[in-house]
Amino acid sequence: MTEPIRSQLIAVEVNGERHERDVEARRLLVHFLRDDLDLTGTHVGCDTGNCGACTVLVDGVAIKSCMMLAVQADGSSIQTVEGLAPDGELHPLQQAFTSFHALQCGYCTPGMLMSAKHLLDHNPEPTEAEIRRAIQGNICRCTGYVNIVEAIAAAAKGGGA
Amino acid sequence: MSETTVTPDRPITVEETETAPGFIGVNVPRKEDRRLVQGEGVFVDDVKRHGMAYVHFVRSPYAHAAITRIDVSKAVALEGVYGTLLGEEVAAETDPFFQIAPPPAGELKDYALAVGKVRHVGEPVVAVAAATRELARDAADLVEVDYEPLEAVVDTEHAADPGVAQLHDEAPSNTIWQGNFDYGDYDAALAEADKVVRIKRLHFHRFSSTPLETSGAVVEYNRGTGQWTIHSNNQFPGFAIIMMGPALKVGMDKLRFVSQDIGGGFGNKICTHVQLVALCLLARKLKRAVNWTEWRTDQHTANSHGNERVFLDVEVPVRSDGTMLGFKARMIDDCGAFTRYEPLGCIIWAQVTPGVYRWRNVRVDFSQVCTNKSPCGPNRGYSRMQHLWFTERVIDIVAEQLGLDPVEIRKRNYIRADEMPYETPNGCVYDSGDYARCLDDALKLIDYGSIETRRRDAESRGKLLGVGIGSTLDSGTNNFGQSTIVNPELQFSGNNEVATVKLDIFGEIVVTLGTTPQGQSHETTAAQVVADLLQVEPDDVTVRAGHDSYWNSHAGFSGTYASQFAVTGLGAVKGATEMLREEILKIGAAVLGAESTEEVELGGGFVKRKDNPEAALPFMACGAIVNANNAVLPLELRDITLNCRYVYVPPHQLPDTERKYGNLTLTYANQIHACVVEVDPETGVYDIVDYGAVDDCGIRINPQIVEGQVQGATAQSIGAATHETFVYDEDGNLLTPNFYDYHVPHALDMPPMKTSSVESASPFTPLGAKGMGEGGGAGLSAVAAALQNALQGAGRPIVTSSSNPYHRVWELLQNPDESRSLVSVDER
Amino acid sequence: MLLAEVEYARPTSVDDAVRLLGAHDGARPLAGGQTLTNVMKARAAAPDVLVDLNKLEELRAISRSSDGLELGAMVTLAELVRSSEVAEARPILAEVAAKIADVQVRNRGTIGGNICSNDPTNHLPPVVSALGATMTVRGADGERTVPVDEFFLGVYMTAVAPGELLTSITVPAGSGADGFASIPIGRDGTCIVNAAASIADGQARIALGCVAATPVLLTTAPEEAAVREAVRGAKLDPPSDVHASAEYRRHLAEIVAVRAVQEAAS
Repeated sequence: MTEPIRSQLIAVEVNGERHERDVEARRLLVHFLRDDLDLTGTHVGCDTGNCGACTVLVDGVAIKSCMMLAVQADGSSIQTVEGLAPDGELHPLQQAFTSFHALQCGYCTPGMLMSAKHLLDHNPEPTEAEIRRAIQGNICRCTGYVNIVEAIAAAAKGGGA
Repeated sequence: MSETTVTPDRPITVEETETAPGFIGVNVPRKEDRRLVQGEGVFVDDVKRHGMAYVHFVRSPYAHAAITRIDVSKAVALEGVYGTLLGEEVAAETDPFFQIAPPPAGELKDYALAVGKVRHVGEPVVAVAAATRELARDAADLVEVDYEPLEAVVDTEHAADPGVAQLHDEAPSNTIWQGNFDYGDYDAALAEADKVVRIKRLHFHRFSSTPLETSGAVVEYNRGTGQWTIHSNNQFPGFAIIMMGPALKVGMDKLRFVSQDIGGGFGNKICTHVQLVALCLLARKLKRAVNWTEWRTDQHTANSHGNERVFLDVEVPVRSDGTMLGFKARMIDDCGAFTRYEPLGCIIWAQVTPGVYRWRNVRVDFSQVCTNKSPCGPNRGYSRMQHLWFTERVIDIVAEQLGLDPVEIRKRNYIRADEMPYETPNGCVYDSGDYARCLDDALKLIDYGSIETRRRDAESRGKLLGVGIGSTLDSGTNNFGQSTIVNPELQFSGNNEVATVKLDIFGEIVVTLGTTPQGQSHETTAAQVVADLLQVEPDDVTVRAGHDSYWNSHAGFSGTYASQFAVTGLGAVKGATEMLREEILKIGAAVLGAESTEEVELGGGFVKRKDNPEAALPFMACGAIVNANNAVLPLELRDITLNCRYVYVPPHQLPDTERKYGNLTLTYANQIHACVVEVDPETGVYDIVDYGAVDDCGIRINPQIVEGQVQGATAQSIGAATHETFVYDEDGNLLTPNFYDYHVPHALDMPPMKTSSVESASPFTPLGAKGMGEGGGAGLSAVAAALQNALQGAGRPIVTSSSNPYHRVWELLQNPDESRSLVSVDER
Repeated sequence: MLLAEVEYARPTSVDDAVRLLGAHDGARPLAGGQTLTNVMKARAAAPDVLVDLNKLEELRAISRSSDGLELGAMVTLAELVRSSEVAEARPILAEVAAKIADVQVRNRGTIGGNICSNDPTNHLPPVVSALGATMTVRGADGERTVPVDEFFLGVYMTAVAPGELLTSITVPAGSGADGFASIPIGRDGTCIVNAAASIADGQARIALGCVAATPVLLTTAPEEAAVREAVRGAKLDPPSDVHASAEYRRHLAEIVAVRAVQEAAS
């Protein structure tokens, strides 16, 4: 038997580090990450779940953290952009984004990288059409996506550098 | 829509050359990227302060209403609520914002919060501050505001008609500004014409670039010094300070602007001074730092929209061979509820009066009205985009009416490369460019020769194929003297931008900029320029990220806007670096025992004797001597600081306000786009199946970065041409208030985009470069033209709007004669 | 963007979930949350209690039986897309699910959520309508089944009563003659109009989306003229909005109906 609660102590592992926090049930996962854990790499770009700037991996699955409550993440393992290069050496996707000029203002980039990572984790050799479909939920207002698509393709081929 | 993208081979590599390294023109990888790809950028909402309050604005649900009662008692009673700010407090503590418009419209009063009346849906009425974001939102729900609704004014064309409700009591009507622009001899052109093409009405719609990061700020008040520190993503602090200082009744130095990374701006983050003043008042009142995060729906309903414009009673005298002699039109611009940056848009368009065409005789009656819609502000291509779309639409309508080929009519009327520098009828001087060549290149990108074959192929599949051309003049480095054409009392002219370059005690080369980049790669391109001048690598140059007016790196027009960094920003960097180079050479000459600086040179981080490269002084030693060991220097060199500040000032002149004449910007980059669409005649649904964009912005400091700007700006104009539109209902409700209904292009929506470039060096700028970044507007014209071309076999409708979502194409297909009735030709 | 205060419970059995839903006025089930969270952000809805269904493993099953395909209400759209059972039994469900929103939304969003929210622009209500699905609903008094024709009651309203829960959707085994067509905003954006069709025994069962508060069901011969006639005969009175006038939507409804039937027949 479970009973409704207004706030709850949750435990999550974020980028390999365990965190326990008391959170209100209404707190969105993205605000938990940004405001409570100070992991500000995950961004907010809209209020309707359209833009994908807040994309993170929860138990390896790409989700938009503005449409999940922090309490729902209790017990899960989360990966954010800050976890892509744990020892400072850039992930091949990060390297490819740099090499191909796949970012301008960089605001969509963390979410875009996490969507791309989810793609390559499940489909190491995507076609261009598959890449575009994989990042359909991530809006970029700067690049027109041309270089982002090329960068992901290059990272898949191991050509991020 | 094909999902193949054709672009030149990459990735970027630093090209090694055998001679001394030269970094201008090279695709140096961006300095900004390392932090941004790791989520280690600092955007405004990442800034936190101890005990910070979160602010939520209570916003108007009405487009036009009198405020009859405000009660915040329930809100402030909520635990965790720190306080509120009301319009009456704002009116008591601040002066209304300075108005650019001359009286009487300039008498209108614009405050940080609504005072007595609301004028658009989403207008901030009360600010509430609380311990958490959620609490501030909860408290805002408890604020009670009573309104008495008034008639909403939403129709641009009729906003100033007699009997229409008035937005601002202090102004005599809803007309903000009106002016007649008369260049050449229009009447003579009319008399000389073989034909006159008339267009009753064209409409340029409302949209904005909607940067992915919305606006925001963290504002702190230092009670001891009376200074505010404003961490924000405002992209033009120079303008914000000019607006905010007088409003808050403080000097400029009391407003310290700080930003690091900004998540896109596109002009939309220029006019946040309104909210910033409310935050300054709250920070002072509550004695704590305050955070404001604008949510997406707020951004759409109450932040800068691009100006909407109607073009009425257009008249185009033409010779039989298609030579355009001029045009006449009545233009009404709609700036929304408040003027803010307006009515500057009433003159900015004139930077590109004839577009890329040799129109010599122009007569325009230009006015601007206010309506109960979100206030407008600069939006990528500000005011010129509207006008350039008009010029391109005119060209294609004339071509259609006279049965002329769209390519031929363009080439006949384009300003020619051999006419550069070219003075337009209103005194603007186009510095360089070869539009015909760019057009040829654009047509090559879309394989124009195969269009008729592809048209037949499309027809065999039941589709209508069309091709269209668009152009943009990306005029940059404003002469702010043009503001005196809208208001002769204003004391603005010229332009400036600042940079400092120093060589520090451990040999670090550190650059500060006056600009506030939002993705334009200023750290990288500045380092390229410095590296070339000091003969070091870009990696040896630290360019401070972002902007801080405390760095003394602030000039009156500092900011990032209006396509000018390559000229003003890098001009300042070049100037400061040359000063520093001279100082290093002097130190080197003195220490190495040379007679003069002529005998020494820079290389590899050393200053060396030319006659003996072994006699070399490392930069680190120069920095150490000047900063920490200066008694070794001869007395005459003790004024050397190795910390050089340079303000670049372009050679602008005052315009002639009577004739509305003068050179309004320094450089004129251009883009020519070509677009191929396929329309499903059954539904009006269409795909862009091929797209080419050719850019000419003079010498490119970093070609890859320029190409990125071209791609991104094009994507924005394709979005605007297809689905992005701010639509209001008759009560002034915005029907596309967020990304759910305001559909911006995602990765699947983008057509294959091909780009190429031409480099026509500017004779007027320090590096031969031109400002660029706003040139994508050509896409709006190219899509409109391509649709008109595609529908030539379906009743030949005329495309008269810049906004062409599927339903409008279907309407054109259903009733082509309705659009054709707006156009006619007089034979002479 | 910020939710009003709400209570939260995460039951691990359907029985407990039903008990919680019945015990609290203003309780709402939280499935994938890809609609409800957004509605709550806008404070257009403010349930008192959210009953999170994400730990109800019994609602995540996909199974084939003689009756057809049984889909647990908490099967995600992504699971629908990659399910071999779905691919074999009724591939249209996977094909349409793949068009919904984007990867991240499909990873969280569920078939039950898409159906129960019954936003008129949703993809799955017309699909399950055309396929003649049966809904299994559990409440305090036990389980009942509702034919799809009686399931959709209005915008955001279905036959699932307060205190009840949709637990599974049963799709009958079909001949494979199913089709879907839509006019979205841009590529696979929000639907302006959509239609699903299923042909059996020489009759096309068509469900039109986006033209009324609930999917509009038509049964007709599959020939183009007959389909057009049927759509015209339905006297549609679709809503007008920024994306389409009523007239345009009515026109498009006829076209997507024809296209959906053509796809089903091909």
